[in-house]
Amino acid sequence: MVAFRNTDPSGRTTGLLLRCVLYSLLALGLIIVDKRYDRLGEIRRVLSVVAYPVQIAVASPFEGWDWFRESVTTRDALRADKARLESELRLAQFRLQRYAALESESERLRELRESTADVTDHFVIGKIMHLDLDAFRERVLVDKGARDGIYVGQAVLDAGGVFGQVARVGQLTSEVILVSDAAHAIPVQINRNGLRTIAVGTGDTSRLKLPYLPTSADAVVGDLVLTSGLGGGFPAGYPVGTIAEVRRDPSQSLADVEVKPAAALDSARELMFVWLKPRPDELPPLPPPKATAAAAKAAGGDEK
Amino acid sequence: MMRDSRIRRLPVLLSALVALALAVLPLPAELESLRPDFLVVVVLYWSIESPRAGGLSLAFFAGLALDVINGVVLGQHALALTLISAWATHLRLRIRVFSMLTQCLTIFALLTAYQFVLFWIDGATGNPVTNFSRWLAPVIGALLWPLLGGVLGKLHER
Repeated sequence: MVAFRNTDPSGRTTGLLLRCVLYSLLALGLIIVDKRYDRLGEIRRVLSVVAYPVQIAVASPFEGWDWFRESVTTRDALRADKARLESELRLAQFRLQRYAALESESERLRELRESTADVTDHFVIGKIMHLDLDAFRERVLVDKGARDGIYVGQAVLDAGGVFGQVARVGQLTSEVILVSDAAHAIPVQINRNGLRTIAVGTGDTSRLKLPYLPTSADAVVGDLVLTSGLGGGFPAGYPVGTIAEVRRDPSQSLADVEVKPAAALDSARELMFVWLKPRPDELPPLPPPKATAAAAKAAGGDEK
Repeated sequence: MMRDSRIRRLPVLLSALVALALAVLPLPAELESLRPDFLVVVVLYWSIESPRAGGLSLAFFAGLALDVINGVVLGQHALALTLISAWATHLRLRIRVFSMLTQCLTIFALLTAYQFVLFWIDGATGNPVTNFSRWLAPVIGALLWPLLGGVLGKLHER
């Protein structure tokens, strides 16, 4: 039995209805202002700083445990890791040998077509914080925010491919919406034939959909799906996933195509926030602030 | 209104903070949809037990904290929590004399109303969640009510 001690013997709750109405109106006002006018960015940014200690307090035991596990790994495990990393590095360097040549060749071809490359210029690495946001939406919290020059709509990648984009920026943290979120869509292109379409999230981290391909479209299981760079949000040519299943129902006009995401959406720990190189003919939608260049330089320096 | 020395706010704030931490504690994906709304149950407990210690202000600000931490439209949880906290406060003298089963059923009704307000605002702001697992949280919350209420009662007695 839940024991109520009744510390409030008078039992008075003067003006309960009045206060309820007042607070509800206040909340409704907040909802409307937040939704309609989008003027609460600053307030939210400040509030997110207030929430930061709670987030750190919850996340730190898990990070502590990770740290502990890493520090007590055995010599054998480390040696095995080293051997694996060395072989991966050798493979990567082997592939890289051709890269410089290919890049200059592609640059030449682009010059012929008088288009500019939208290669990424610089990036910042952020760590996913061990926190569950809304259980029904595919979002993660990352420990880089407005202080590091992160902006809303920025493309986020992981080691495998496109991870998502920045949905909301706090002062110290930012929220990334995954490509698999049901409310997320990304312009893509099938690598084999250049067919352009849109990949939409399903709410399930293991698959995306290509809902706008006609039944007759040339899409085959195993095709690589890349970002097309249309819309300007994402850099072109990054892997989004591979086609895992194509269902064609002759009575429907659109095919049912499923894509397996290239990014490790449910297990990635570190994410890359990328900035597109500003094209000569147009300025980027949100010019990165000065802090960004410095931070990116620092991050870039770490990488080299 | 005069400040009543019998009303202690520390346990209220403490339990709300712990519940807020539990609300974002990482869980395995299978368990995630089974997570009860800890902070909501805590706010309900204090609304029933001692409305003047926390009351609607506690409900409103706890809701605002959930909005910020969950990154949803600002005011969503605040509105839902304010409404059901007021309802619980209105019913509190009756709830106290209810049997355990009836208490759980009442809490279930309150939590369902809470989810309904969230559901409605999700739809009204154009991010509908078409997922039935959100309706599991009230069931779990109501089942955990004897346990959570008991723990809060112990905290309060000290």
